[in-house]
Amino acid sequence: MILRYKILGVSFIALCFIIFASLIVPDYSPAIDETDRVFKVLQSLGDEQVDHFPNTEIFGVSAKRGKQLIEEGFSTKPGGGKTKKQSKHFVCTSCHNMEKEDPDLRFADPQARLDYTDAQGLPFLQGTSMYGAVNREKFYNGDYYKKYGDLVLAARNDIREAIQLCAVECAQGRRLKDWEVESILAYLWTIDLKVGDLNMDAEQMSFLDRSLKNNTLKDSAIALVKSRYLNYSPAHFVSAEESRNAAAEIKGVPENGKKVYDNSCLHCHEGQRYSYFLLDDTDMSFKYLKKREGSYTDHSIYQASRYGIESVSGRRSYMPQYPVEKLSEQQLQDLIAYVNMRAD
Amino acid sequence: MLDRRRLSRKLRLVKRIILFVFLLVISSQLSSQVVYQTFKDTRVINSHSVETLPKRHLDFRIAHRFGDIAGEAGGWPTFYGLETAADVLIGFEYGITDNLMIGISRTKGAGPLNQNINSLIKYRVMTQEKGRNPFSLALVGVGSYSTMSACGTPGLLCFFAKRAHRISYNAQVLAASKINQRLALQFSLGLTYRNNVEFQDQNDLPNAGIVVKYQFTKVFGIIIDATYVFSEFRRETLAADGTREFSNPLGIGFEWETGGGHVFQINLTNSKGLIETDYIPYTTSSWTDGGFRLGFTISRQFKL
Repeated sequence: MILRYKILGVSFIALCFIIFASLIVPDYSPAIDETDRVFKVLQSLGDEQVDHFPNTEIFGVSAKRGKQLIEEGFSTKPGGGKTKKQSKHFVCTSCHNMEKEDPDLRFADPQARLDYTDAQGLPFLQGTSMYGAVNREKFYNGDYYKKYGDLVLAARNDIREAIQLCAVECAQGRRLKDWEVESILAYLWTIDLKVGDLNMDAEQMSFLDRSLKNNTLKDSAIALVKSRYLNYSPAHFVSAEESRNAAAEIKGVPENGKKVYDNSCLHCHEGQRYSYFLLDDTDMSFKYLKKREGSYTDHSIYQASRYGIESVSGRRSYMPQYPVEKLSEQQLQDLIAYVNMRAD
Repeated sequence: MLDRRRLSRKLRLVKRIILFVFLLVISSQLSSQVVYQTFKDTRVINSHSVETLPKRHLDFRIAHRFGDIAGEAGGWPTFYGLETAADVLIGFEYGITDNLMIGISRTKGAGPLNQNINSLIKYRVMTQEKGRNPFSLALVGVGSYSTMSACGTPGLLCFFAKRAHRISYNAQVLAASKINQRLALQFSLGLTYRNNVEFQDQNDLPNAGIVVKYQFTKVFGIIIDATYVFSEFRRETLAADGTREFSNPLGIGFEWETGGGHVFQINLTNSKGLIETDYIPYTTSSWTDGGFRLGFTISRQFKL
């Protein structure tokens, strides 16, 4: 009997200890993980968010429709039926990836991007990836003013105007309806930045974690998060002449040029996907390009990549040029070295 | 026991067939690569090629055949044929899908049936793919309706006792292969049917054709187009001077891709007509008699 009371007493004390200990031992589960959305983290830290959120009160707004508009250029209308194609010439994915394309989002490094996209099986394009577009705050930056003039002013700080400028000027198509813009935004919010994309080390993650849990050093935490990605995409145009002159100083690497040719040139020209001009892996394509390299026509690689190709009378399709952040001088020389090697 | 063995053998066979088909499908998916631009245009001189317009592309075409360069009807009096027009075509064609196109055109007409309105349908059944399909295959159908005024002489084709006499058709099967980056070959079999024909002529005319393209550079190539018409009437009918009245159409030309979806063909051919229902039954000029002419085709595509 005494033994039974002893056992009961010990059990009671142990239970009390466990309950008490659970109340005083701190919670070590992290407040943040790699799959968390960057905007949510910033929101939790009290950061003032840019108004990029879709207006879902507009009838017909859906991320699914937005995805279809981006990938196919049309969608189902909210009331049924199919919308008119946004552009006869391009879809968003002609010039923009929808996946992460920079291994380190702090830098616009074309070579790091080329290596990364090549490894991921993604094209290497003139436009900036739409992945994380809603986390950016500025659009049509730098020299895009030279291309589109005052049209970029409204688009620089307004993602909706940026989408419209892209639709009408870049894609040479129709202006999007309100529900279409909001649907595109809704889709872009499904491919926003995640904490894991920021490549923070354990110390930075720990600091962010403590800041979120303890509500301390929030400004530093916000600054840390924002320092891990570019909130705009820099764009600087160089002249074809500058690139031609660079040839004297830069030695092209054909192996790297092959990546540019396969992932960039062929993205539009293979099978005349977006261009009337067919390029392929045959000697004739390379000989054609090499022969015109030194010319000042549209078919010179220098002219085409640095100035793009203008629309001709009767048609509105064209080739957009590469800012130096999207195709470096070294990469252009690499491309030329590859073309020349294949042509010889 | 015997039944069980048979069943087991059958099951093994079925399994092997399924495995074979599965591997075939997988290997074709892995290794196949579409061969683009066997020809640069939907036509090679007169003949259709296996190419179809891409979806939602509108092609505006103008083709012209001048008069005879040499022979009795050519030479200096006609400035080597440049001052006469044997036939003119103006037409629109449209890609419904990447493999199906339709078209409508108007031709002046070079045979006894003039002022034709022509309709076209072409369907590419199979596209050449490396490691899978060695050639592309297309079906073409053409219908022509002559809008010329009826003449008052019974027995002539232009008498048009019935409206149906104004109509003729052509159907063809085309098979083409891009042998390498420079050389492409196409063979065709066709049948032209005319509702009304001259005395002793045959309504249905089978034909076989061959087209060759050799690309010198990426944008410049030489093209040859030949059609053989299987017709006893054509072999035996003689003209007033004792020579054969009918000839088989044969053309040679050059093709430039000038950029922006614009292809320019310039050619020499003994056929005057531009549409299958015209040049297949009614080619009477002969290369050996100087009855060949300059022709060109301008094709301009628009995305709709």
